[in-house]
Amino acid sequence: MADQQPNNDAERFLRLVRAEERGRLTVYLGAAPGVGKTYRMLQDAARRQAEGVDVVVGVAETHGRSDTALLLEPLEVMPRRYYDHEGHRLEEFDIDAALSRRPELILVDELAHTNAPGCRHPKRWQDIAELLVSGIDVATTINIQHLESLNDIVAGITHVRVRETVPDNILEHAEIIAVDLPPEALIERLVAGKIYLPETAGRALSNFFTPTKLAALRELALRYAASNVDRRLSNQLELSGEGGGFVCGDRLTVAVSPGKGGAQVVREAKRLADMLHAPWTAVVIESGSARAVYGAQREQLADNLALASSLGASLMTVAATDVGQALVDQARELRASQIVIGKSRRSRWFEWRHGSIAHEVIRKAKDVSVHVVPVEEADEKPARPKDPYSQRNNIFAFGLVAFTILGLHFAQPLISRSAIDLVLLLPVIISATFLGMRPGIWASIWAALGYNFFFTQPLYTLDIYSTADVVTFIVLFAVAVIIGGLAGKVRRQAETSAGVARLNASLARFAGLMGGLSDRDDTARVACSEIGGLLDVEAIIVSIEDDGLVVRGNEHYRQLDVVDEAAAKWALENGVPAGRDTGTLNAADWQFHPLKTALGMMGVLGIARPSQQRVIRPDDATLLASLVDQTALAHERLVLEARAREVDALQQRDQLRGALLGSIAHDLRTPLTSVIAATDAIPSEGSFASEVLIAREESRRLQRFLNDLLEASRIEHGEIQPNMESVDMTDVIAAVLRDLRQAGPDTRVETAIDADCPLIHTDALLLRHVLINLIDNALKFSPRSSKILVEFDCRDDDLALRVLDRGPGLPPDSAALFDRFERLEGTDRVGGSGLGLWIAKNFVEAVGGSIAAENREGGGAMFAIALPLARGVSEETADHA
Amino acid sequence: MRSDVLIIDDEPAIRRLLVGALDRIGISHAEATNASEALRLAKLQPSPIVALLDLGLPDRDGLEIVPQLAALGIAVIVLTAREATEEKVAALDLGADDFVTKPFDSEELLARVRSALRRRAGPLADTALREFADGTIDRETHAVTLRGEKVELTPREFNLLWALADRPGRVVTHESLLETVWGPAHRQHLDYLRVAIRSIRRKIEQDPSNPRLIVNEPGVGYRVAVNQGLRV
Repeated sequence: MADQQPNNDAERFLRLVRAEERGRLTVYLGAAPGVGKTYRMLQDAARRQAEGVDVVVGVAETHGRSDTALLLEPLEVMPRRYYDHEGHRLEEFDIDAALSRRPELILVDELAHTNAPGCRHPKRWQDIAELLVSGIDVATTINIQHLESLNDIVAGITHVRVRETVPDNILEHAEIIAVDLPPEALIERLVAGKIYLPETAGRALSNFFTPTKLAALRELALRYAASNVDRRLSNQLELSGEGGGFVCGDRLTVAVSPGKGGAQVVREAKRLADMLHAPWTAVVIESGSARAVYGAQREQLADNLALASSLGASLMTVAATDVGQALVDQARELRASQIVIGKSRRSRWFEWRHGSIAHEVIRKAKDVSVHVVPVEEADEKPARPKDPYSQRNNIFAFGLVAFTILGLHFAQPLISRSAIDLVLLLPVIISATFLGMRPGIWASIWAALGYNFFFTQPLYTLDIYSTADVVTFIVLFAVAVIIGGLAGKVRRQAETSAGVARLNASLARFAGLMGGLSDRDDTARVACSEIGGLLDVEAIIVSIEDDGLVVRGNEHYRQLDVVDEAAAKWALENGVPAGRDTGTLNAADWQFHPLKTALGMMGVLGIARPSQQRVIRPDDATLLASLVDQTALAHERLVLEARAREVDALQQRDQLRGALLGSIAHDLRTPLTSVIAATDAIPSEGSFASEVLIAREESRRLQRFLNDLLEASRIEHGEIQPNMESVDMTDVIAAVLRDLRQAGPDTRVETAIDADCPLIHTDALLLRHVLINLIDNALKFSPRSSKILVEFDCRDDDLALRVLDRGPGLPPDSAALFDRFERLEGTDRVGGSGLGLWIAKNFVEAVGGSIAAENREGGGAMFAIALPLARGVSEETADHA
Repeated sequence: MRSDVLIIDDEPAIRRLLVGALDRIGISHAEATNASEALRLAKLQPSPIVALLDLGLPDRDGLEIVPQLAALGIAVIVLTAREATEEKVAALDLGADDFVTKPFDSEELLARVRSALRRRAGPLADTALREFADGTIDRETHAVTLRGEKVELTPREFNLLWALADRPGRVVTHESLLETVWGPAHRQHLDYLRVAIRSIRRKIEQDPSNPRLIVNEPGVGYRVAVNQGLRV
C-alpha cells in the first residue's frame, strides 16, 4: 500500500540515510537526438575529473562525431563486453567490470538502451539502477520520447510509438539537466551532417525533424525538467522536515483493466499523480466472471500491472463480484481523493447490455473525483471460451420442457388451464437456475412455443389470438432472464468464495505438511511437490552450501545451467526475485524467489513452466507469496531445531567434561599428595639420596602439570574470575619463594624489590601462579649454575615485574611464545606442559595487566609483566583511619 | 588410653602417612574416616587435643563439623588445597585453629601439630606477654623487644602486632585483624592492613623485602612466626 505519510521522524531519517547511501544519478535530458547531451555530459565529466573525482566512462556513444570523441581523450574508458548473438558481435556495457572498478562517477550513455540477450539485465536502466544501489554515482543521457509516462503523448506528436522506454521512477530522484537546442539550430546541425550520415539524415528530416514536432518535443522536455525540479524540491523539504504541512492529502487509485487501453489509463494516472504529488495505487477487481473470461488477456493485465508498478504505483488485487462497487469501496478504504478509470468507446447497445463500469463508479462515488480516460481502441470483448457443456445443457433444457408439456398434455383434463402456464414455469426456472442463463432462455422459448402449440386456441397451431398468451410468453422469458442472472451471480459468488476457501485450505494444508518435517531434503521435496501442484509449475529449492549451489526438491532437476545458476545466485545475494519474467537475467528458464527469514537467506525457490506462458499468473501471485513465506519459515524452523540440538550436545559435552575434570582433580591429586608427602618424609641422605631427590622433584613436576591442566581448562571455559584486592607485591614474592623452598632448597632464585612501591589492586593468587610458572620456566631453560632474578619496581602508573634468566634466550620466532603447547624449538628434553606461559598470559590479562618477553643483554630471556597501580593509600591514612 | 591427635581423613594413604609421621615423634593418635565417626571419637573422654581434618569427607562437608570440634575444646588443623582460599577463611572463621595446604610438608605439619599441642598443654603463664620468633611483645608495658632491642611502634602497629602474636604461629584472617585493630566498620579496608604491616616490617624485619617474621598467606591472612626452637 502506498501509505507513506512522512510524518514519522524515524522513517524520514531512514529515507534520508538511504538517499545518502545510494549513488546519485544525473540525467542529461534532450528533446531529440543531436542536441548535444553526450557532449555536455563529457564536458561535465572532464570538469569533475579536474576537481579530483574518480571518473570512468562506461559507455559513451560518439556517433562518429569527432568533437565528441576528442572530449573522451582525457577520460578513462572501460572496455566493452562482447556478446555473440545470431552471428553478430554485440558490444555492451560491462556492469561486472564497473562494479569491481568502483569509480566515484561513471558515465553510461543512453539510459533507454536495450541490452543484448545474455546480459544480466534486459535494459540498461536496470544496470544503472544496480550501480546506484551499490553507491556509485552515474551520469547518463535520455531523449524525452523514451520516458514511459510520456509514451502516449510522444506517440501523439510524432505518430511513432517508441518501444524502448524507461520507467519514470528511475528519474524521480535524479538530477535532470535539460540540454536544449532550438529546433532551427538542430535542423541546421542535421543538414550539416553533424547528427546522422547524409542518407539517414534526409529520411529523418522528413519524418521526425520537422520544426513543429521538434518544438512540441522541446516543450515537453523542458516542462518535464521543470516538474522534476519541483518534485526534488518538495522531496528535499520533506526529507529535511521543513515541509511539515507541505504534503497534500491527495491519493489516487486507478482501475486497471486488461487490454491495451489499460496501459493508457495507467500512464494517464501516473501523470495525474505526478501533478498532484500524490501516491497512487493500481487496483484490479477480480470478479468471478472476469476469471472465467480472461485467458490471453491475463498476460496483458499482468503487463499493465507491471507497468503501473514500474511507474511507482502500489498494487492491489481485490476479489468481488460487483466491479463498480468494489472500486468505490477500495477508493474509500485507501482514502483516495481521485479515481482514474478508463472508458472505451462502445455502442450504446453494448453499454446498455453490459453496463458501463465508469458510469456505475461515477454514480456511486460520493466524495471522490472520478477521472474518466477515453480509451482509443475499443476493447473488443474477448471471445467467451466455449462452454463444453452448453450443447448438452440446451438439449437437457429442451428435454425438460418437452417432458413437462407432454405430462401437461395428458394431465390436461385433470387440471385447470390457468395452472398450465404456472406449471410451465417450472422447467424454465429449473433450467435457468441449474443450467445457466442461455439454457434458461432456450427453455422459455421452447415452453412458450409448446404452450402456444398445445394449449392455446387455436390448438396445434402457432397462431396467437389472446393477449393473455403474449403476456405468458413475456413472463416466461422474463423469469428465465431474471432467474438465470440471479443464479449466475450466486454461482459466481459461490465460486469466488470457494476459490478463497480453497486457497486458504491449501495454504493451511501446506503449512501443516511443512510443520511435520525434520530434514532439509524432505522439506524441499514436499514443498516443491505441493507448490508445483498448487500453481501448476515445476519447483525446486536452491541453496548455497559449502560446495556451491545445491538444488533440492525435484528429482527431475538436479543441475542448473549457467544462466539459471547466475539468476539463482543473484536472487540469493540481493534478496530480490530474479530469472524468467523478472527484471534480472530473464533469459533464465527458472524464476527464483528468495526465502528470506529473520535468520537470513534460507535459499531460493525456483519455479518454471515448460510452455512459453508466464511462470506465475497475476492472480496466483498472492498465493505464491504466501507459499514462499511458508517455505522460508519451514526452513527457518529446521535451522532453529538444528541449533537447539547443537546446544544440547554442547551442554552434554560440557557436563561430561566437568565430571572428567572433577575426577582428575580428585583421583589424580589425592594419591599425588600422598606421594609428595611420602617422598618428603624420606631423609635425603645416605646411598639413595639422589633417587629420593629425583622422586621429590618429579612428583612435584607432575603436580604442577596437573595444576596447569586444571587452570587451562578453567581459562578455556571462562571460569577465571579474578578476586581483586589490595595486594603488597612483597607478600606475593615472599609466598612464591616459600612455595619454592618447600619444593627443595634451591638457591638459584634471587630477588630485587622496590620496597617503596605502592599497593596494587590485583588478585594475589593468580599473580602467584603466574610467577611460579615464569620461575619454573626460567629454571627449566637455564643452566643449573646460573641465577634467576625476580624483580619489580614502579613507574608512573604501573608496576613492572620481571623474571630474568641466563638461559638460551627466546627462539627467533617468538610470536607464538604465549600460545598453548608452544615450546622452544628442540627443548623437548627439558619437559613441561607447554601451558605455563599461556596460563601466565591469561592470568595477567585477567587482572588487567600485560606480559611480554624479550632477550636480555648478555644472554638469557626476560619476561616482563606490567600491572596497573592502584590509587595509592598513604601510610598516614591507614595509620590514623 | 588418650589420643592426643585425631586424624580425620577418608584417604587411607594420607592417614597412613600422618600416622607414620606422628609415630616417629611419639604422639598418640586415633583415626576417623568420616564425619560421624570423628564426632564420636571427639566426644570420648579424655578428648583429643588436636584434630587433623580433611574437608572432603564422604558423609558431610568437613566445614560443618569444625564448630562442633572447636566447641569440644579441640584445636582443629584443616588440611586443604592451596587454591581453596575461601575454604580456609571459612574454616578459620568457624573456629579452626590453623590450616595446612596439600600437598603438605611433613615437617611443617608436625611443627603445627606440636605448636597446637603446646598451646593446649597449659595456658600461657604471663597473660600480658607474648613471644614470637626473635622477639616478645608486652601488653602491659607496650614494649616490643626484638633480639634484645626495643622497637618503637605506633599504637595501631602495636595493636596489630599484638593481635598476631596473641595467636603465635597461627593464621589470623584479614577481616579479623581489621575488625580487632580498626573496628568493625573497616572490615573491608584491606589496604589499611597492608600499609600497616609494611610499616611494622620496616621496623622489625631484617630484610623487609623478604619478610620472615610476619608472613602473609595470600588471600587468607597473616601469621607471626614462632620460635622454631620451642618444643612441647
